[in-house]
Amino acid sequence: MNDVQGTILEIVGSLLERANKGDVEVTLDAPIHGDGLGLDSLETAELSALLEDEFGTDPFGAGLMPENISEIVAFYATVEGAGESALA
Amino acid sequence: MIELVRRFAAADPARVAIITEDDQWSYGRLAAEADALAHGLRASGTDRFAIVSNDVPFIVALMAASSLVGAEACVYAPDITTEDLVRQAGTFGHEVVATTRTDLGDLPVTLRTPEDLRAEGPRIDQLPDSRPLLVLTTGTTGLPRGVRHDWSRQLSRTTAARDAAGQVWLLAYGPQQFAGLQVLIHVFSTGATLMAPPVRRPQAVMEALHTHGVDHISATPTFWRFLLAELRADDRPVPSLRQITLGGEAAPASLLEGLTETFPEARISHIYAGSEFGSTGSVRDGQGGLPAALLERGGDGDISLKIVDGELFVRSSASMLGYHGDTDLPEGEWWPTGDVVEVVGERIEFRGRKSDVINVGGVKVHPLPVEERVSSVPGVKVVRAYGRTNALVGAVVAIDVVPDGTVDERALKESIRSACADLPRPWQPRSIQVVEETAMKGNKIVRGTEER
Repeated sequence: MNDVQGTILEIVGSLLERANKGDVEVTLDAPIHGDGLGLDSLETAELSALLEDEFGTDPFGAGLMPENISEIVAFYATVEGAGESALA
Repeated sequence: MIELVRRFAAADPARVAIITEDDQWSYGRLAAEADALAHGLRASGTDRFAIVSNDVPFIVALMAASSLVGAEACVYAPDITTEDLVRQAGTFGHEVVATTRTDLGDLPVTLRTPEDLRAEGPRIDQLPDSRPLLVLTTGTTGLPRGVRHDWSRQLSRTTAARDAAGQVWLLAYGPQQFAGLQVLIHVFSTGATLMAPPVRRPQAVMEALHTHGVDHISATPTFWRFLLAELRADDRPVPSLRQITLGGEAAPASLLEGLTETFPEARISHIYAGSEFGSTGSVRDGQGGLPAALLERGGDGDISLKIVDGELFVRSSASMLGYHGDTDLPEGEWWPTGDVVEVVGERIEFRGRKSDVINVGGVKVHPLPVEERVSSVPGVKVVRAYGRTNALVGAVVAIDVVPDGTVDERALKESIRSACADLPRPWQPRSIQVVEETAMKGNKIVRGTEER
């Protein structure tokens, strides 16, 4: 597990905990919406803001609609320099 | 302005009008300087001009001089860049700039120093019918707007002002701000003394408070919040203030409590004023908001208030004449203040600026109640709530927090989230950033929705 991926999982985990969904298991391929993590629009908006706070950019803001954590991790793999603040 | 300065110059010429870092100006000296500058303005045929200076006695004397000869003075930000100065002078048609700055170089305007402007002549007693004044608004973006006022209208309610000899007021606003002008008018109409520090940030005025016996301050809630934080970090005894005036932004209850605790002897007032509609006077009961009784004063008074669709409207005899470049407003025009209010019991409570409303997925969120909630969390020194554009819901509430250093960052975010947990979900901050300082303009916090 690389650090960007670890940080993303941590952000999602704490977001779920605050949303009283702490018992939901966070896996890379769990769908973000619906039966997976069950994030609603405001929680997804928060995820977008938190990712931007952490990495300076985020897939939602870039116009993408990732469906699971893997797709978010994949987004940062394509963005040069992303994740530096997480590694520091 | 000239009539205020002359009143005390005649009664008590040696009384101190202005204290600066390295000088003192009596009312007598100030009145003489105003007379000399008035002759200079008249002799040079200057009927409109800008002032670019951080020398407050010079600014006040020039304002008084301009009010004596009917020349329209306009105070620019003292530290304006030459680029902005040229642009602003172009916008407002200022060909003459009165200045004490020596770094302006060669500009496409005529620069005049105090020495250039002084001239001798017999005392001028006849006040002109028209005594214009141009005040620039502190817009958060782009060029400021010019707001045309008239000295006689601005001073009409000061004639019966009492003699407040010995009071020392801090100039915590810039001399170019409408609120700064209100402080000048108040101080000189009551024969009090103005302490004009070279730098007006809360961090920079501490020394002046102690050295010059400042006991009256009018400032923004943001200024007061920072001043309280500075005082907590200062070993010296807290200066004994007698008057605390807040204006420019809504004042949260938590701040009023902090001020009452720190300055138990001080009277706390609020001023509700705007560059366009003038000052509506001060509210002295120490509570936030305005008394709802003001809404029922009928339409005959100097100042009337009404609420239309949640927005406060003001009609005032001290309102502006109109914007620069526009025709005069009709007499008795109601002015939309842009302030969103709600009547709660006996009080008109401020909810925020109309333009600061954050649209979270169609829900209108006001940043002030969020700030109020967060500012009561232990460990928070200053908080700023604002909208951040968001691809999914339009905008989310974001907050910047300046910590006071007593609580660990992770724990601080945790307690902020808990403190906001019972707010409606769109109101809850979705991003909490711990920062060293918050975005400010003219000692006010910048809110509204930001592009990222």
